[in-house]
Amino acid sequence: MSGRPDRTTQHVLLLLLGVVVLFVAGSDRYLDYVRAGFRPLLLGAGVVVVLLAFSGLRGGRGETHGDAGHGHRGPAVGWLLAAPVAVLLVVAPPALGSYTASRQVAAPVAVPDEPPAAGIGADDPGADHATMTLFSYYVWSQAQDTSALDGRRVRLVGFVSPRAAGGWYVTRFDINCCAADATAIRVAVPGGPAEFEPDDWVEVVGTHVPPQVDPAVGYPEPTIDAASVAAVEAPAEPYE
Amino acid sequence: MFEARRESVIAEVRVDDGGVDESVVHERTVADGGVDGAGVLARAGVRSTDLLGGLVAVLVLLHFLAPAVLQQPVVLAWSTVFVAVCLQALPFLVLGVALSAAISTLVPPSFFARALPRRPALAVPVAGMAGVVLPGCECASVPVAGSLVRRGVTPAAALAFLLAAPAINPVVLVATAVAFPGDPEMVAARFLASLGVALVMGWLWTLLGRTEWIQLARLPAAAPGLTRFAGFRAAMTHDLVHAGGFLVVGGAAAATLGVLVPRSWLEQVAASPVLAVLVLAALAVLLAICSEADAFVAASLTSFSLTARLAFLVVGPAVDVKLIALQAGTFGRGFALRFAPVTFGVAVLLASAVGAVLL
Repeated sequence: MSGRPDRTTQHVLLLLLGVVVLFVAGSDRYLDYVRAGFRPLLLGAGVVVVLLAFSGLRGGRGETHGDAGHGHRGPAVGWLLAAPVAVLLVVAPPALGSYTASRQVAAPVAVPDEPPAAGIGADDPGADHATMTLFSYYVWSQAQDTSALDGRRVRLVGFVSPRAAGGWYVTRFDINCCAADATAIRVAVPGGPAEFEPDDWVEVVGTHVPPQVDPAVGYPEPTIDAASVAAVEAPAEPYE
Repeated sequence: MFEARRESVIAEVRVDDGGVDESVVHERTVADGGVDGAGVLARAGVRSTDLLGGLVAVLVLLHFLAPAVLQQPVVLAWSTVFVAVCLQALPFLVLGVALSAAISTLVPPSFFARALPRRPALAVPVAGMAGVVLPGCECASVPVAGSLVRRGVTPAAALAFLLAAPAINPVVLVATAVAFPGDPEMVAARFLASLGVALVMGWLWTLLGRTEWIQLARLPAAAPGLTRFAGFRAAMTHDLVHAGGFLVVGGAAAATLGVLVPRSWLEQVAASPVLAVLVLAALAVLLAICSEADAFVAASLTSFSLTARLAFLVVGPAVDVKLIALQAGTFGRGFALRFAPVTFGVAVLLASAVGAVLL
C-alpha cells in the first residue's frame, strides 16, 4: 500500500472518517470510548470533516491542473485515516472490561482525605437501598469515619471481574477524558455467586463491611457483603 | 507538477524578500519523487481510487466474516483504547488544522512581523505567553506552530508556542486544580515548569538551532486565480490528511504501550525518588494522554511523589509518542529526532527543580 492517495482518494478517506464519527457520536456507541460531554465536539468535528470532503469532491474538478482529479497526491501516511474506520467497522470494540481491569491489579485509587460532607443520600424511591457509584462507595469505605454506611443497604452496578481470594469484584472504570486514561474501581464481593462470568453486568445490593487486606493485592480493598445479586443490562454509559 | 513546484519555491522566496525573517525554511520536495511505489503502481495502471475500492471491499468482507481472532480480549482492549485516543483527539485536531489553514491563507504575513518583537530572544517569551490563550490539547498546537513557521515567524518563537500552548492554557490549569484539590501549589508548579521548558527550548533554538533541520511538509501549490476560500480549503484538507495520519500512528503506539505495560510493575519503582521521576516521565511519553486529562491520571498514581507526578505533567504535553509522530510529520524526521530528546531532558530537569522548591 505504498501509493500516495490522490485528491479524490483523500476526500473519500475524509468522507469515510467523518461519516463513521457522525455514526458513532449519533448513537450511544461513543460512550464506550469517550466521556458523554464529548458528543458535541465529535458531532462538530464530523460535520466539518464531511463538509470539507464533500466540497472537495464537488469542486475538485475546477481546481486541478487539468489532470482529472488525480494530481495533488497527498502524503502516504494519509492512508492511515482508514485505520480507525476499519477498526470501528470490523472489530467494533466494546467498552473496556474485565481483561483490562485485571491488568491494573496493584494500583489503589486516589481518594480525597475528607469524605463527602453530606451522608450517602436517601434511599432510592420505593426501595430499601441507596444506589452509589463504585467510586463514591470506594471513597466512603476508605474514610476515617464510615458511620454514614452503618445500617444502610447499598446498591452497586458494575461488571464482574475475577478475584483470586474468592468471589469476584463488582467493577467499573472511571474515565476523565477517554478510555486511554481509564482506572478500574473494584469492590470485592467475597460471597459473589459463581454462576456469574467475567464481564457480566450485575447489580449488587448489600451492606458495608470494613476493607480487607487481600494478601494477593497488598492493600485494603473496599468490600461489600452481598444480600442479593441480579443480572442487569449493560448501561448505555459504561464508565463512571 | 514541475509548474506547481516552481510556484511554491517562488512564493517562499517572496516571503523572504519581504524581510519577515532572514532564515530560509526549506520545503520538502520528496513528494515529487517519481520512482516510488506510487510511480510503479501508476505505470501498472493502478490508481489510488482502485486501491481505495479494494480496501473498502476487504473491510466489508471482514465485517461480515468477523474472524474469531478479532474478538480476542487483547485485540478488543487495544482497539477500544486506539479508537478512544483517535476520537478524543479528532475535534482538537480539526480545530488546530482550521486555525493553521487560516493562518496560512487568510492572515497576511506582515501581521506576525508587527505582532512579534523582531529579536528572536524577545519573541520567544511573547510567543510562549501567547500559548495561554489557545485552549486546546497538544494535537491542535503542532499544525498551528507549523503554519507559523511557514508564515515567517522565527522557529524559536513558534517552538515556544508549540510547547507552551497545550501545557499552560486555562482549561489544563483548571483540570489540574480539580485533580489535585489538596495540593493547589501543583497548579503553580505546573505553570512555571511548563512555561520554563517552552522558554528554555525557544532560547536554546536561537543559540544552537539550524533552520535546515526543519523540513516543512510541502503545501499543495495553490492554482493561480484560486479564491481565498478555496485556498483555505485545500490547505485544511492537506493538513488534516497529513496530521490525521500521524495522529493514527501515535494513537496506535499509545494503545500498544497502554495495553502491554501493566501498571502493577510501575508501583515497585515508586519507592526510589530519582527512579520515580524518570519512570513517570517515560510513562508520560509512552501513554500519550491528552494534556486536558493527564492531571487526573497523575492524581491516581498515589504511590509516587508529587515531584514525580509533576514530571509526568510537564513532560506529557511537551513530548510523547503521538506528538513525536505529529512533529515528524509537520517539521520533518530530522527535526523530531533532535527536538524530542532535548525537550525530554529539559522538561525532567525543570520539573525536578520546580518540584524541589515548590512541592
